Amino acid sequence: MPPRLIFHVDMDAFFVSVEELFDPALKGRPVVVGGQRHERGVVSAASYAARKFGVHSAMPLRTAAKLCPQAVFVDGHPDRYRDYSYRIHAVLNSFSPQVEMASIDEAYLDMSGTERLHGPPLRAAHALHIKMKSATQLNCSIGIGASRLMAKVSSAQAKPNGVLWVLPGQEARFLAPLDVAVIPGVGKVMERNLLALGIKKIGDLARLPDSELEERFGKWGLALAGKAQGQDAGGWFDTEVGENTVPKSISHEHTYNDDTASPDQLESTLMRLSEMVARRLREASLQARTIQLKLRYQDFTTITRAHTLPSPSQLDNEIFEQVRTLFRKHWKRGAAVRLLGVQASSLNGQAGASAQLDLLDGGKQQRWQQALSAADRLRDKYGESSVSLASGMKATFRERTHENPAALPGKNKPTP
Amino acid sequence: MAVEVASAAATGTMEITVSKGELLRELTATQGVVERKTTIPILSNYLFEAVGDKLSLTATDLDLSLRTSCGAKVKKEGSCTIPARKLYDYVRLLPDAEITIKMLENHWVSIRCGRSNTKMVGMAKSNFPALPVFPTAGVIKIPAAVLRAMIAKTGFAISSEESRYTLNGALMVLKAESITMVATDGHRLAHVERAGEKFDGVSGEMKTLIPKKAMDELKILLDSTDAEVVEFAKDEATLFFRIGSRLLTSRQLTGQFPNYDAVLPKDNNKSVSVQGAELGAAISRVAQFADERSRAVRMKMEKGELKLSASSTETGESEDTLEIKYDGDSVSIGFNAQYLIDFIKAIGGGEVLIELKDAQSAGQLRPALSEDYKYRYIVMPMRI
Repeated sequence: MPPRLIFHVDMDAFFVSVEELFDPALKGRPVVVGGQRHERGVVSAASYAARKFGVHSAMPLRTAAKLCPQAVFVDGHPDRYRDYSYRIHAVLNSFSPQVEMASIDEAYLDMSGTERLHGPPLRAAHALHIKMKSATQLNCSIGIGASRLMAKVSSAQAKPNGVLWVLPGQEARFLAPLDVAVIPGVGKVMERNLLALGIKKIGDLARLPDSELEERFGKWGLALAGKAQGQDAGGWFDTEVGENTVPKSISHEHTYNDDTASPDQLESTLMRLSEMVARRLREASLQARTIQLKLRYQDFTTITRAHTLPSPSQLDNEIFEQVRTLFRKHWKRGAAVRLLGVQASSLNGQAGASAQLDLLDGGKQQRWQQALSAADRLRDKYGESSVSLASGMKATFRERTHENPAALPGKNKPTP
Repeated sequence: MAVEVASAAATGTMEITVSKGELLRELTATQGVVERKTTIPILSNYLFEAVGDKLSLTATDLDLSLRTSCGAKVKKEGSCTIPARKLYDYVRLLPDAEITIKMLENHWVSIRCGRSNTKMVGMAKSNFPALPVFPTAGVIKIPAAVLRAMIAKTGFAISSEESRYTLNGALMVLKAESITMVATDGHRLAHVERAGEKFDGVSGEMKTLIPKKAMDELKILLDSTDAEVVEFAKDEATLFFRIGSRLLTSRQLTGQFPNYDAVLPKDNNKSVSVQGAELGAAISRVAQFADERSRAVRMKMEKGELKLSASSTETGESEDTLEIKYDGDSVSIGFNAQYLIDFIKAIGGGEVLIELKDAQSAGQLRPALSEDYKYRYIVMPMRI
């Protein structure tokens, strides 16, 4: 079998670049996307100029303001990012039938067997670069390799606006001098564990016998041994590009700018969060069986409480009903709340799921299903906030988006 | 609320002798009501009260309380509390002989039987919650066998979903000459009616929501009684059921039970009759291969045949066929296997009528022969 040819396309400072298209004055300046400097919440993205000051995503906005007082703080515009993400997806689709969006701003393309159509890899990458720029006005970086792992590592090394191809057979040599943290999936904890063994570079890792890694870290250790050689190994990396992988959970959270103990406001927020979770369930054609409430009080004590639904659901009202029951049962009445979250898990695809029809709702379920799918179409066309359930309207808040949602691979990607 | 205790019992230090057999019988009957969680310690205790020639025992978990009694030689009248579970476990192990129970100082209680001697740590009886008093008026007599049968036919369909709390009980509708009980969890509904009774004191319709816990406890009590009549009464907050010497009280479930009349099928025109036991066996077999979570089985009614089938990607597929007399249009419908099996168990075999309309509408099952009880079971299909 000839080696596979995988592209990893990663947009350069995606949110910031999109914001720059709407406000060219931002260009070249330190920009922080995610909210205003005094607000609670975290940084969604930072421009390269801001990153120089140590600002990075997931950092509290107030910390970013301290590190980089001269930065311009911009509210996030999830609708804009989604819109551009669709355009990016469209460009990529014209290059390969097998495209997998790994998050809103990065994708894997299986380019194996496209030589006759697009020419050799570097020429194809060049064409992709040009087409992306002309269709979206955005820059991207492209990593090319025989595995997804190699493609991913290369694109990070190619930033910004570059292309890097690691030739088949050269993987281990290329990886050897890089820090172990460059390997997707190696987080802070793993890095520390490896460092304790004297392993700092990927080359150190590659020199260890597989058996020793397996002994120390189990299945993960064995996968790590494969990764050190540049192979796709372990978990999500074992799947094919474009193969449908069902996420483990879908969740949304909201942190109040001012803590609140108003039952109305809290329940209204839960409604809004349930709506967002259900919307994403429907988008992914998934049904959830377990619904979880997350509640953080003023003093940061946090509780999570979950309940299993009698039959799986993807409807706003059914999810909200469960969350509200959990909330009413577990919230210490009168205690100020800092953060609320709604999570749906035990997900399964609709195809395999049989739905129990309800006897007493007089077709309510059916009507909700229809109404919500109409609402979804409106949102597709006019944006997420174009339509909402009345009880959730009091709680309209800015949706926060992250370039690398925690549920997707790549969350540990090294800062380019 | 007042306490139904003779005032003489409130003073003095209790001392009584009871037979082990009688005491154990009452302890067994009341175990279900004793609070298992120990958030309120007094609730894991019995209240013992000795008056005249009787020992009465009370257990409560605040939602439900059960008072019962047994004959005793009362040397000194009085009352005390005793840890319920520990007492039950201990008395079970005692020989069949007389047991002497005597209250000591500091709420300690002495239990002597033959050569066994134990002192248990009780609690102050003043902590024991006051219990509602059985009303003197408005008592309705229901034949024990009727109530027992009705609970057995509906109790399993009660919802345990907290978010649908008005479904966490069964609705009992009393009229001057009939009694009806309905329970539903939103997916299926069991409805049983018995006419030809005579309920003195009922005019019009008397509707009562009986919580699931009370239904379960009533069933246990009715299974182990010789009493022929249950005396039923209620006040604003409480339901009372007196069965022989035992009195069960339950907090009322508030809220509106759904309008079930609207969901009773009226035009299910595809109907067959099958042997309940055979149907149950076939469903149980194919259900082994149903999706573990949804338990969905497919039922296909065709000319001369009722086909049952199930499949899942993990376990495979299975089909069973029953011979039927049917000549109508074929219809295919999905059901949760458990819902069907629950009903077949409740009727204990016999002929079952299955009445369907289409794949999206509720199906109805009922016993083919039923003179005493008009029993019907409505099940909503599954989309598969």
